[in-house]
Amino acid sequence: MEGGTTMIEIQGLTKEYDGVRVVDDLSFEVRPGVVTGFLGPNGAGKSTTLRMVLGLDRPTAGRALIDGRPYRELTEPLRRVGALLDAHALHGGRTARGHLRWLAASNGLPDRRVDEVLAQVGLADAAGRRIRGFSLGMRQRLGVAAALLGDPPALLLDEPVNGLDPEGIRWIRTLLRDLAAEGRAVLLSSHLMAEMSLTADHLVVIGRGRLLADAATTDFIDRHGRPRIRVRAVDPTKLAALLGGGALPEPGADAVTAEPAEDGAWEVTGAAPERIAALAAAHGVVLYEIAVHQDSLEEAFMRMTADSVDYRAEVRP
Amino acid sequence: MSTPHRAAPALRAERIKLATLRSLWLPPVLALLLTAGVTTAIGAALGGTDRHLTDDPGVGVFYGLNFGQAALACFGILLIGQEFNTRMIDVSRLAVPRPGRLYGAKLALGALVALGVGAAGTAGAFAGYAATVPGAWNGPALARSATAGVLYPVLLVVFCLGVTTVLGNLTAAMGLLVPTVFLLSPLLAGLPGVRRVAQFLPDRAGQYALRYTDDPQLAYGHWTGLLLMALWTGAAAYGGLRAIRHR
Repeated sequence: MEGGTTMIEIQGLTKEYDGVRVVDDLSFEVRPGVVTGFLGPNGAGKSTTLRMVLGLDRPTAGRALIDGRPYRELTEPLRRVGALLDAHALHGGRTARGHLRWLAASNGLPDRRVDEVLAQVGLADAAGRRIRGFSLGMRQRLGVAAALLGDPPALLLDEPVNGLDPEGIRWIRTLLRDLAAEGRAVLLSSHLMAEMSLTADHLVVIGRGRLLADAATTDFIDRHGRPRIRVRAVDPTKLAALLGGGALPEPGADAVTAEPAEDGAWEVTGAAPERIAALAAAHGVVLYEIAVHQDSLEEAFMRMTADSVDYRAEVRP
Repeated sequence: MSTPHRAAPALRAERIKLATLRSLWLPPVLALLLTAGVTTAIGAALGGTDRHLTDDPGVGVFYGLNFGQAALACFGILLIGQEFNTRMIDVSRLAVPRPGRLYGAKLALGALVALGVGAAGTAGAFAGYAATVPGAWNGPALARSATAGVLYPVLLVVFCLGVTTVLGNLTAAMGLLVPTVFLLSPLLAGLPGVRRVAQFLPDRAGQYALRYTDDPQLAYGHWTGLLLMALWTGAAAYGGLRAIRHR
């Protein structure tokens, strides 16, 4: 790996297809030493953004730079950036080793790298087999091997956990974290939010091609994951009268919401549990459950993209 | 394009792509076998009886090329077409991001392989014909016919590769090129009215340079025919370059 300070800069990146903005004035940076999660629902423009960064699609406006240069101007680019876009984009008639051999030759990489990366991704035994017979998980591993071939200081991976079994997901999570710990810049796109909260240090969230958030993962959850308090009472009718009656708001408090849940419980946001308990006691409502529930990354994400109804339907858990 | 040493890795990558995929290296091998083999077999079977094979030795010697060229066209189409269909072209473009260099390497490899097939196929066809149809193969047109036999595969492969790149689709290229070159073009050339136009199709024009005898119905000469085909090829190669640059 050369130069541990490789940085990917995306500046005002915009892509229009037939007048529709798929990516809209997107700007962010991928810094070395951390795993940056690129998060968005299907169709949010993640793949299009990655394709523009890699010079496969031309931006309508803006630019993407790798160490200050567009991808298309890199010589031996596999030594600068490793990418996995589509695990199916290869010819099934070649062997895994054959596929990596031509890639290595194209960037002047020694043949020994081929066997090194095959071992690194656990495909050493399948090196001589035709890709046609590979499972999706094996193809993903081969794609990761191709990305690692040039020992690049930056990695871009589009939905790499697709098709991997739980063991494979753990493997790629550890691999990416190790690669970032070595000082590499790692950008990982996904629509799987739970996975991101475990893998990514930093999050770039987009919806409808626009930047929604660019923050450390923990900050993101703190800021957008509002704690919900779940309350259940012996007499649900009394609880409903109390919470539904607007008794909760206290002077100077943030917006408080109280909504009935399906099982007779109520969910309150914006009020402290102490306040709810005190209020219930004052009105003689006996509570038997009061639980603070911190939103997961996924719920935070759902809330962020909730302004668009057609997106909600697309967001998959 | 760029300096040779910078283009060399791209060409080496294309050579490995060819060597590691049977459906890519089989067509040129088949083309060679058909070009030399069918000529020899037909010469042995009908050389003494069929006047078609001896009246114009160019027809007899390159009888096998009629079959070999089908495999050559497939080779030219597959060389880039299978990358479009598998979307592996994206991986190739990541490895070689300058479109001109990637495309140039493919053209160079296709032309080199076709040159080998042309040279070996022509030598084999002449040898097979001379062995089975004695006496007829020599003549003043020999040098020109042999030269055309070497160059025709090169022009055909580059032409097919260029057209496939313009179309950006393997199936569309197969659907357009194979019937046009092997069915429509000879058929149209047989129709008196259409022939005036059909004679300018690339394969018609190029194949005229293989003949020993003159055809008074054609509007051009033997060498001009080969040049016409080269113009078609040049246009297709340039169109392919424009197409891949604007992808």
